Amino acid sequence: MNNKDNFFKGIIKENPLFVSLLGMCPSLAVTTSFENALGMTMGVFFVLVLSNLLISLIMNNKKLAEMVKPVRIPVYIVVIATLVTIVEMVMHAFTPALYFSLGVFIPLIVVNCIILGRAEAFASDNKPVASLIDGAGMALGYGLAIMSISIFREFLGKGTLTIWGDLQLNLKFIFDFLKIEPIAMFVQPVGAFLTFGLILAAITAIANNHKNKLAKEVKNNG
Amino acid sequence: MKNNGLVSGLVLLTIGLVCGILLSVVNYFTAPKIKEVEDAIKYAALEEFYTLADYDISEVSGEGDFGTIFIFKEKGTETIDAIVYTVRAQGYSDSTKVEMLIAVNSDLTVQDYKVVSQQETTGFGADIVDNDFNVSVIDDLSGFDSVSGVTKTSNAIKTCFTLVGERIASDLGGGLNE
Repeated sequence: MNNKDNFFKGIIKENPLFVSLLGMCPSLAVTTSFENALGMTMGVFFVLVLSNLLISLIMNNKKLAEMVKPVRIPVYIVVIATLVTIVEMVMHAFTPALYFSLGVFIPLIVVNCIILGRAEAFASDNKPVASLIDGAGMALGYGLAIMSISIFREFLGKGTLTIWGDLQLNLKFIFDFLKIEPIAMFVQPVGAFLTFGLILAAITAIANNHKNKLAKEVKNNG
Repeated sequence: MKNNGLVSGLVLLTIGLVCGILLSVVNYFTAPKIKEVEDAIKYAALEEFYTLADYDISEVSGEGDFGTIFIFKEKGTETIDAIVYTVRAQGYSDSTKVEMLIAVNSDLTVQDYKVVSQQETTGFGADIVDNDFNVSVIDDLSGFDSVSGVTKTSNAIKTCFTLVGERIASDLGGGLNE
């Protein structure tokens, strides 16, 4: 697999959220606003890219890998937990509003199955550069997924789109034009499941359509 | 073969130590900024409780579950008008306690209270921290309004009030060492 395919597989073909359905709990909880999703994406990107790189560096050193193998899961957890703690401290210091908004879901990145999954399934068996690219693709795929959910939820639930801090798009005029109120349910937990389900259904429909088209083309050509 | 476990353990210990050193370096740079952020939140809350310009304010470091205690004295006198406590109690999140500021006047009435730090669940515990818990006198929590479904966070907030109630009389009587 070349670097381009390695990067893009995490965004579309093997999207951790929409295809593998991994890391759903924090994804559904933090997507009440676009800003939260963006903050979570940055945190996960930092942790996933660096944990993949560090774990690959450790496991590509034959001598070190032999010694680490029996305790590899604790080693992964120590590395991941360290990176998450760094994210937590930096967020607390420099983006306190985001830190308080994401709350308990920042430390919970440690147990996000995407990160541990990529460490065990990819980084431990591949070269550092490939692992770094895989981490970046997966984190971006995860980020795009949660940001798309948050756009729907925040717009439908509040009629706004909070980009960062005070930078907020007020889209209530659309609701005023339609003479309806924003549907508050979408920023509640039930709205998270509903939005996620609808997006997943749309993606599955598009993927099936694409598959059918390819099958037809093969049939016609064959 | 026998030593493999020991070697692996030592490698794990070494990686742990390296990570620990890295965290202490990051902490060295972020801790002062975090303190600044937390102080800014606390002073913004104090501004909501009282007009700060009207008082001489001194700070005392609390022990145990108490953080900084702010003593408000009438300007130019030694009379304590109010005490604002920074107090912590265990909520739902294991990693961080719920931290509150509770302002109590010298007649034991509760001027105001505010949750200044928490990591409770977004959409659940985190959303009730701005609630009115119906506490007007610090030594009477009989009317305390818990929020159903968010018991642990409610209990943490009640614990904060109880802790303050247990020491306020002694503190107003001069028990605080400034």
